[in-house]
Amino acid sequence: MDFNALILFMVFSAVLSYLVSKSNIKLGAYSTILFSLISLIILFLGRNNIGNEFSLLYMNFRVTAIGWYFSLIMILIYSMTAFFNPYWMEKILYPSSYNFLYLFSLAATVGLFFAADLITLFIFWEVVVWSSTFIVPLGKSRKAAVVYFTISSIGSMATLFAIMFVYSKSGTFDINEAFKFLASEPLTATFVFFTFITAGLTKIGIFPFHIWLPLAHGNAPHTFSPVLSGGLVKMGAFIAYLSVGILPAYKAFSTSMTIMGIPFQIYLLMVLGAISIVVGTLMAIKQDDVKKLIAYSSVANGGYILIGILMMDQVTFAGSLMHIFNHAIASAAAFLTIAAIAHRTKTTKISELGGMIHKMPVSYVVYLISIISLAGIPPMGGFVSKWLIVQGLASKGLIFIAFAAFFGSIGSFLYVFRPLAGLFLGQLAPKYENIKPSTLVMKIPMVILASMSVFFGIFPKYLLETIGEIQTSIGIDPIMINGDTITTINGVLNTNKVAAIFGFGFVISLMIFLVLPKSRKVGLMDTYTSAEFIYTPELYHYANSFYAPFERLYKNHPSVEKFLGKFAVKTEELGILVNSLFFSHKPSVTVLWVMAIATLIFLGGVDI
Amino acid sequence: MNIMNFIYAFLLLVFVFLFQTSITGINRKVMARLQRRRGPKWYQQFIDIFKAMSKSSTTHGWIFDFGVIMALGGIMATTILIPIGPFKAFADVDNIFIVSYLLAVGMLGMAMSASGSGNPWASIGVSRALTNMLAYDVPFMVLIVSFIYAFKTSSLSGFAALQQGAGILGWNFFRFPLGGIVALICLQGMLGKKPFDSFIAPAEIASGPMVEYGGRHLGMLFLLHEFSTFIEVSIIVHIFFGGGATPLEFMVKYALLYTFMNIISGVFPRFKIDQAVKFYYKVPLALAFIQGLIIIFTGLGVS
Repeated sequence: MDFNALILFMVFSAVLSYLVSKSNIKLGAYSTILFSLISLIILFLGRNNIGNEFSLLYMNFRVTAIGWYFSLIMILIYSMTAFFNPYWMEKILYPSSYNFLYLFSLAATVGLFFAADLITLFIFWEVVVWSSTFIVPLGKSRKAAVVYFTISSIGSMATLFAIMFVYSKSGTFDINEAFKFLASEPLTATFVFFTFITAGLTKIGIFPFHIWLPLAHGNAPHTFSPVLSGGLVKMGAFIAYLSVGILPAYKAFSTSMTIMGIPFQIYLLMVLGAISIVVGTLMAIKQDDVKKLIAYSSVANGGYILIGILMMDQVTFAGSLMHIFNHAIASAAAFLTIAAIAHRTKTTKISELGGMIHKMPVSYVVYLISIISLAGIPPMGGFVSKWLIVQGLASKGLIFIAFAAFFGSIGSFLYVFRPLAGLFLGQLAPKYENIKPSTLVMKIPMVILASMSVFFGIFPKYLLETIGEIQTSIGIDPIMINGDTITTINGVLNTNKVAAIFGFGFVISLMIFLVLPKSRKVGLMDTYTSAEFIYTPELYHYANSFYAPFERLYKNHPSVEKFLGKFAVKTEELGILVNSLFFSHKPSVTVLWVMAIATLIFLGGVDI
Repeated sequence: MNIMNFIYAFLLLVFVFLFQTSITGINRKVMARLQRRRGPKWYQQFIDIFKAMSKSSTTHGWIFDFGVIMALGGIMATTILIPIGPFKAFADVDNIFIVSYLLAVGMLGMAMSASGSGNPWASIGVSRALTNMLAYDVPFMVLIVSFIYAFKTSSLSGFAALQQGAGILGWNFFRFPLGGIVALICLQGMLGKKPFDSFIAPAEIASGPMVEYGGRHLGMLFLLHEFSTFIEVSIIVHIFFGGGATPLEFMVKYALLYTFMNIISGVFPRFKIDQAVKFYYKVPLALAFIQGLIIIFTGLGVS
């Protein structure tokens, strides 16, 4: 099937879903599952469309390998998350609009990835921003939507400016053609590079634009947070790719100062990526709300993705593209488990929960696999991508960036373990004694996403071969993969072998466990209590400020939010001053101005 | 990869268990002499492990059991990756990043099991352990990145092979003295020896992650401790002390280094966990960056 039909179908299905929802809300929600799954299948089977060009209503599209890859991730996340929609219809204020916007934003993202000219790109970008802006306030907070839209607007406007600037110089909007002249003009290229990539930076949540993520992800409806974190954030990565891949950044900056072989303009953004990793990690460690915690972890992972894309080389770029996929499925799965828990318990605060493993074992296993992947531990997919990124950084000797990468990697053990211990393990509060496990429909996407994390961790070749084709199509060396052995300059990784060794170790350990004498099952409260008599499980549960000694070390940290808050207060004060001086009805102010003017006249000696 | 690899792997595990447990036993003796005690017999550690394994125990649900199995399984898998001198059970898996990340599976399993017991003291202990990990791993990894950049390899046996043939002065420990100091300080943290032993808190076991364990769980965690000690010390022996041209050479170096770390541990008091973090992010991290910049920009000591 042609992809112009796909885009038309997706737009049309959004409208259809709205109409269905108007008559029957539940049916409308199920239609979002159906339509997104159909789109997924059409896209997946339509891989031979790569290279085609087509137009719709003055908008031009070109199906590229990388666009196809990004669209596939996006539709996958949307369709998996759609399984949760039916359970949130009663809780959302405008359910039919929600269904419409859900599918409409999906259609727009696909249009964005296939855009052949800058205007099409910008139109679809704005459609996504607007439709998601209207979805976010359907959750808990309106302020979140305002912050989200403001930050997005900063990016959009900068990018629009870059687009117009490029058009005025080159006379064309075609993405491939427009940027070509920049290769010989380093100064203009620097200017366009920084303005054009701003939209990408705001969307990935790169420091200092990261403040919208915890607010929007934390407050959006539980069914939309996975899409925001797993899907929409990745649009920023696509813009970042356009800024270094299509805009010939390395060629244009070839004469500028380099740091470890990287032009300083690009290195500067890599430093921002590194700061995002550190900031995201430190902030995630101290969050009590799981959704905010995963949002900050998205900030950190966005840093990895940005660094990898900016490198535009054989290993790190491949690692980054793979990390986009791995982070998308893992963070969506983690958000979905939290949504499943919130569906039963009505809260996402770690300190209010505990012992959920005894009630929702499937959610626990899915969460465990996802966070192992997020933290980059074998045998999950996240390990392969982080391994590639770290190998790439090491081969270039970028130790300061690598420091951030390791800090984020080991720091992620800390923040992923916090919900594990506080929310899933530990004491089960009596008020949750009778809650039911998540429904079967909810389990489907969670289990699919978790199994994908495992599958691509053991057999990464299915992903890396596609990534290799993308690399060939944009003119860089493809990642070397032979069977399941990935080869880089500094080392080899055979994921099959690692998984087999892990399995072997596990089996031996299991056998040791089984031959030893049986143990007696006791309750959770039957523990060592230092001879105290404790009858309240809630009090015997450690979940508040989990890393207290560590959090204390950076409790007085500076933050962008505080800075912006102060800036807002100062602006308001200035406004009040101006208002009281010029627009006041008080006689004293009038007298003041009369005096001031009189003084001026006397001083200036003006003749009246 | 065939069946013989797995048989070798099994034999390697048995060997490491016998070797490391004996060394631990001897070190208990050494420590006792340092403190003017007689000390237990050298095979006391074996007795302790088998005794714990033979006793009855209690469990707090499936995750409490599963965590222990996953922890020991992960650590044993990591042990299989480690070359002993020139001997390797599997080819091409001794990449330093694979080793250090697979080691994390074991850590995570143990943390999960401890928190799964429902005892808050265990969770507090785990939070200390993870914080400690964030402290010691980062300076070490920064150092490793500069080594990979300089030597174009990231496998343990690759690092070891590059140092062999030039005598003692060819060891990275002497070619990169700043890095060597960082590595030893980080090793002390990895081993959980004093002054960085506050996370397991062996002397106050009731307020650490191990509080709920007994019987077979405790026995398996003893095993886990022996294996993880072996992995951590071996990494340093391979990267900084030239590994071993023969298994025997490796074992001698290993035993000496481990005993040395233990003696240091014997004379130190303990850091609080936040003090440990502050220390690691001041001294070893700065030294690691200095060493890294020296390697990358001047190449001093590389060739």
